[in-house]
Amino acid sequence: MSSDADRTGKAGVIVAPDDASPIDKLAHSVLDDLLYNIVHDLLIKVHRDEKTARANTAAIKIEKMASEASETSTPDSRPDVRIETDSAIYEDGKVLLKGNPLKTTKDVLCPRCHLPRLLHPTDGKGAKKPDPGIIYCKKHPYIEKPGFDIYGQTWVAPGPGRGKKKKDMEKKLDPNDASSPAPGEGTAKDRPPNVLSFPSATCSKCKRCILVTRLNNHMGSCIGNSGRNASRAAAQKISNGGSNGGSQNNDNTPPGSQKGTPLPASRAASPRKRDGDEFDEDADESDPTNPKKKKLKPTTLTKKVILKTKGNPANKKDKVKGNSMLSVEQRADDDDSKDSTVQVAPKKSASKGGPSPTKKQKLVPVKPQLPFSAPKKVKRDHDVESESSGTLSSPPQ
Amino acid sequence: MAARPGTPASPKNFKIQPPQPGQPLYGCEHVQRLFNQDQATTNTSIQHYKAILRNILDYSPINAQTAKAAEGVTVTASLTSTYLCLQCPSTLTEDDCVKHGNKKSHRFYVDSRSGALYCQMCDDIVWDPTFEDLRLTKMGTGSFTASRKRKQDDLLAVDPVKDNPQYISTNTTVASCKASGLRGIYNAGATCYQNVVLQSFLHNPVLRNFYLSDGHQSSNCEVPYCLSCAMDDMFQDFYAVENTNGYTAANILSGFWISEKKAFENLVTTKEQDAHEFFQFLAEELHERNGDGKKPETGSEHSCNCIIHQTFYGKLQSTTTCQNCSGVTNQVQSFLDLSLPLENLTQKKGKKNGNAKTPAMTLQECLDEEYIKSDKCEYRCHNCNSMQQARRQTAIKCLPNVLSIQLKRFEFKQGRNERAAKIETPVHFPLQLNMLPYTERARTGDTKENFELARACTYDLLSVVVHVGEIDTGHYVSYCRVGDQWFAFNDHKVELASKSDVLSAKAYLLFYIVRSLA
Ligand SMILES: [Zn+2]
Ligand SMILES: [Zn+2]
Ligand SMILES: [Zn+2]
Ligand SMILES: [Zn+2]
Ligand SMILES: [Zn+2]
Ligand SMILES: [Zn+2]
Ligand SMILES: [Zn+2]
Repeated sequence: MSSDADRTGKAGVIVAPDDASPIDKLAHSVLDDLLYNIVHDLLIKVHRDEKTARANTAAIKIEKMASEASETSTPDSRPDVRIETDSAIYEDGKVLLKGNPLKTTKDVLCPRCHLPRLLHPTDGKGAKKPDPGIIYCKKHPYIEKPGFDIYGQTWVAPGPGRGKKKKDMEKKLDPNDASSPAPGEGTAKDRPPNVLSFPSATCSKCKRCILVTRLNNHMGSCIGNSGRNASRAAAQKISNGGSNGGSQNNDNTPPGSQKGTPLPASRAASPRKRDGDEFDEDADESDPTNPKKKKLKPTTLTKKVILKTKGNPANKKDKVKGNSMLSVEQRADDDDSKDSTVQVAPKKSASKGGPSPTKKQKLVPVKPQLPFSAPKKVKRDHDVESESSGTLSSPPQ
Repeated sequence: MAARPGTPASPKNFKIQPPQPGQPLYGCEHVQRLFNQDQATTNTSIQHYKAILRNILDYSPINAQTAKAAEGVTVTASLTSTYLCLQCPSTLTEDDCVKHGNKKSHRFYVDSRSGALYCQMCDDIVWDPTFEDLRLTKMGTGSFTASRKRKQDDLLAVDPVKDNPQYISTNTTVASCKASGLRGIYNAGATCYQNVVLQSFLHNPVLRNFYLSDGHQSSNCEVPYCLSCAMDDMFQDFYAVENTNGYTAANILSGFWISEKKAFENLVTTKEQDAHEFFQFLAEELHERNGDGKKPETGSEHSCNCIIHQTFYGKLQSTTTCQNCSGVTNQVQSFLDLSLPLENLTQKKGKKNGNAKTPAMTLQECLDEEYIKSDKCEYRCHNCNSMQQARRQTAIKCLPNVLSIQLKRFEFKQGRNERAAKIETPVHFPLQLNMLPYTERARTGDTKENFELARACTYDLLSVVVHVGEIDTGHYVSYCRVGDQWFAFNDHKVELASKSDVLSAKAYLLFYIVRSLA
């Protein structure tokens, strides 16, 4: 080692030859030190993440034990008990570490849901089989596998037309494929749960259900139509139909003419209920007989990260929620069980906050483990709620 | 700090971080002992730690990198970490720590390159909540003042909901651990130029925090087809919904088709859809939905407090110096992004090299061209009351929180046969960008030894928009960073990306976020 001292740096990886000139030796040693620093910085980062996660895990565990030990405590308060484990001490409402959490604590609990974190991806690079007896936190390590996304999903190529699409899909799927498909309806059952197809969305103007890959084209001709004037007219029409409209629109339009504008909602007022196995056809925009179709995933709708003022529906702008909630297929995941397809026939519903009475659920259960909860935010179509005449006759702000 | 009248001039008593649920109170048993001796020990420990951090971060690195034991026996400057004793003014090499510890019973040392605390009794780095808070505050803002304590650690947290519990309201469900904000966006037919911009907005912590804390409530908004409402809905769907399938941005799309904006014509009626134009369009649209109602005019100084102005807008100052009378005229204007032309520099470099293949250049070279070098121009001088030759120099007067940079890869050649060409020259861009040289401060004063200022001008790469393929038939993809992990977004598909994937991309748009959000 000592003979190397002037020929390399702290990492000892980049070593100058014995007969190198002093400046050469210095260059080698500088480069070697820099390499050492890069590794050192990386290590510190990983060390911080890992050690903090383990220390917090020790704290979460002992806090849980403490709150279990004292019956009187509400979940938030700090119970007056003393508990000691291998990794921590709970005393006077404080958590004190015992030893090095990297040694005392082997697993990592999610700081939010307090369930153990899965430490290896379930598929692809570095995959390990998770313990089936453990309920893990739903945040999984991301999957790295060619042809699949970070969730291990892949996509069926969108078919060019109605008839072809199904055929294509059948061709692609191996009937001997053992990956237990969902016992659902339509094409869903032929497909492993991690194979998704392109969804459809509702055009906000004409309410037709359009395959997502054609949505831009459709909106171009439906809203944008032929050039700027037509699109301006369309914008005017639609914004007037919606509510009191943007300032720019109303500035140069007399209220009288707004009233006279026919609402594009007329067709939308009579929703049609359809069966689940027809939905591939719905994806085709050439089918004008199905103007309205929405498929919602019930549980996902209940989640709202932040407070949204509810009620007061007269003030609310109706929205078309034309997003992936409309997806034809949902992915079935081993720990995510809510793979039901729910159809909502969008109708004028009086209570925005509660579960819609018009909702028709069609369950395609995969592995139901968790109860469904009713959607908090029921999406309705834009033009359904008629705030038209009253609001429109009042002067725009 | 001078004692104000009425304030007792006694030394400040430092407090350790209060207990947090799910987190131990101290980094290790030994820090616990240190903090439980008496108030004086706590005070000196914290004061020392702060002084060490100042030493590390505010002065030339040579200070902290030079080991000098208290006795002054050995003085060694080193490129690798030295260890600064928390309990006395010694700076030690790694090997000397043990000796020093045994001799003096000093057991805590600060790593000179990271500021991390090493406990000799644990023989490990400890992450103590009290010391860590000081370190992150100092690294983030360059100051210990509590009012400026908007740590980037908070802002860039992978898990905004957990780290900012105020986002969770009483009558709403806690978002699933699965809702991570990582979802693709379906291509609705040649809309990849929109998807890449939307992804960069979705992974912009400033915008994310704005929308997730109900900055624009779609339930209270009356504007039909409001794009800000569509953004609000999209943020909800990305960060609150347990759905890993791609997103269909139908609301954005219809808002876009209905919009009256200038960009409308360019984006909708021509075939060349440009992600940069869509970025401008979306920014202006969101400004109008959230801002002061005035149109953001190019070339003027527009001060607005809306989320878009707070996020993206900075100010440029052009200084024109008359060559005749040396009179100086300053003009300030707001900018949404910095557009860097590549053509001239590409040609210059090509000539130097003398061959057809243009060599790569760096982002800093492009910035030098625009914001350090001056150019000649003619202008009407007020002093001379005539047209005069002048030198004009543009520098950044006010840096934005999120710096967006466009590398002008598309050149529209005017002339007999108008056509657009794409410049394929690779431009190397760093993960960490120092913007200090391009500021007005650097132009007018000596900022070389001002490490605090340099840190305030340090930006971290946040997302990269890439155009692949030919100008007419190409495709847009993007990279965004969440915490330390990079992700590649290709419409509905999200994949893990390595730093080298990101850095070797031929960037078209770059988004940098300031490290210190002070
Ligand atoms: Zn969790
Ligand atoms: Zn339509
Ligand atoms: Zn010491
Ligand atoms: Zn220790
Ligand atoms: Zn709005
Ligand atoms: Zn604004
Ligand atoms: Zn002059």
